[in-house]
Amino acid sequence: MATKSIKAEYLKGLWDENPVFRQLLGMCPTLAVTGTVITGIAMSLATAFVLILSSLVVASVKKLIPSQVRIASYIVVIASFVTIADQVLKAYFYPISEALGPYVPLIVVNCIILGRQEAFSSKNSVGRSFIDALGMSSGFILALLLLSSIREILGAGTFLGYQVMGPWFTPWIIMILPAGAFITLGILLGVALLIESKTKGS
Amino acid sequence: MELIAIFISAVLVQNFVLYYFLGICPFLGVSKKIDSAVSMGLAVTFVMTITAIVSWLINNLILIPYDLAFLQIVSFILVIASLVQLVEMFIRKISPPLYQALGIYLPLITTNCAIMGLALIAALNEYAFLETVVFGFGSGMGFTLAIVLMAGIREQLDLADVPEPLKGAGIALIVAGIMALAFNGFIGMLS
Amino acid sequence: MNLSTRMILVLTSVGLISGGFLAGVATLTKEKIALNVQAEIEEAIQEVVDDAEVNTVLHEEENLVIYQETGKEGMIAGYAVQATGVGFQDKITLMFGLDPALEKITGLTIIDQKETPGLGAKIEDWDAFLKFWENRNASGPLSLRKPPVSDIKKLPPDEVNTITAATISSQKVLDIVNSSLERARKLLQQGKGETKEQDGNEKH
Repeated sequence: MATKSIKAEYLKGLWDENPVFRQLLGMCPTLAVTGTVITGIAMSLATAFVLILSSLVVASVKKLIPSQVRIASYIVVIASFVTIADQVLKAYFYPISEALGPYVPLIVVNCIILGRQEAFSSKNSVGRSFIDALGMSSGFILALLLLSSIREILGAGTFLGYQVMGPWFTPWIIMILPAGAFITLGILLGVALLIESKTKGS
Repeated sequence: MELIAIFISAVLVQNFVLYYFLGICPFLGVSKKIDSAVSMGLAVTFVMTITAIVSWLINNLILIPYDLAFLQIVSFILVIASLVQLVEMFIRKISPPLYQALGIYLPLITTNCAIMGLALIAALNEYAFLETVVFGFGSGMGFTLAIVLMAGIREQLDLADVPEPLKGAGIALIVAGIMALAFNGFIGMLS
Repeated sequence: MNLSTRMILVLTSVGLISGGFLAGVATLTKEKIALNVQAEIEEAIQEVVDDAEVNTVLHEEENLVIYQETGKEGMIAGYAVQATGVGFQDKITLMFGLDPALEKITGLTIIDQKETPGLGAKIEDWDAFLKFWENRNASGPLSLRKPPVSDIKKLPPDEVNTITAATISSQKVLDIVNSSLERARKLLQQGKGETKEQDGNEKH
């Protein structure tokens, strides 16, 4: 199999192998914290932090770790970075930490991260793993940004807290509720598949 | 009674899947047939109850007294990973047919956010021992309820005419959304 | 070395390195986090009691904390009561202020709530609800005014506004305030009685 160019390695995370819309990973945080754009961005950035650093570490030490204990080791590495992210948020971004609640620690079970270590970082160079993580993170950030924008604009009439819908608009409260998250994501998935089939000429 | 309130809350009012968004991966992946849904649900409930117990013990006997609260995330996930391994070995020994039935679902439980979420939320709410156990069992039951309901609906959906792009995960999520709306009706039950 | 030894060695090192790293981060952030939690409480107190400079915890029990606020000259500026109770969806934590004579409620603010977004959650920032808690009677239980009035002067001092479409959450807030107000009044009056008797050699 030909190795991808660096550019392709990065871009695949944005669409072809977008972690949320194509791989269907990391759904829990995607649904839980996308009620507002600010929490969506914060969560995806925190996840990116953990993903990129974990990939770097795993790719650097992959030769030292016996195969039988690799999953356990990856878990410890990931959990440590998640803890660091959680602590830093609580210390320096308290209101956002409160808004995200228990979902920051839950980054540790975000299938995207462990999945990437197993599928990529453990088998590729540090440089490539970094690009891969960067791509996946970007895809994740975009996905959460899209979902949270839809939910906040339609659900509260605001974007990042600023009114964007005029007084003629009655917010669709369902968008902020769990139901809205599920339905919006379902529709977005359908749209993604539709675009995919149209462009690839199914 | 506080314990009953916690149980009902975990199953209906604050259902782990439909309110907390935990356990979505297995919820989408394993809810196609009622049988597998029931098996997954029971396996998850079992692991959740034990995790509730063990995480409470670790948190309250080791982490908090020695000021090691920051090790919560690392210790919880390691406990869960080990527990799942143990449960898998245990089921394999005492009931091979059950092991066959659950198959690949067992290892999947490790990354099931529901289990980790359970440990974290119980710790966050500072539940006492018995409360944590009831919460663990209740959340597992809530998860099972959601996943079995979903499987029932999806078995019917298979026979319906779903637009191509929505087939699979898309329609499942939309159905989940409608279920979440329905469960909203349980809010205020415990006041 | 054989595989088992290597496995154990690797796992232990990974564990120790992460543990050490995390301990370091924890020490760096611990104080800041504690300060953040405290800041939240103090901000709430500032909102409900005027001229609060110094803050002392008078009494603490499950779901209830009473703070005494002293002003610039050392006089008591009022009391702040932090109470937690059951809301519609989940627990609600709020803070209300009392004047030094325990006759009036000086304000109310919501510290934590998980009510229905867009509906019950309005208790946290709906001015027509929150602002209208000022100058309420603290001598007895309050009741809800439905439909809400727009002019605070028209609201009898033993009533508070309801939020339309969030009547249940409004009721929950009221219930929490009523019960904790009664408890706080009892405790504070007890305390005042004691101070009067033990003038000079008191310590509580």
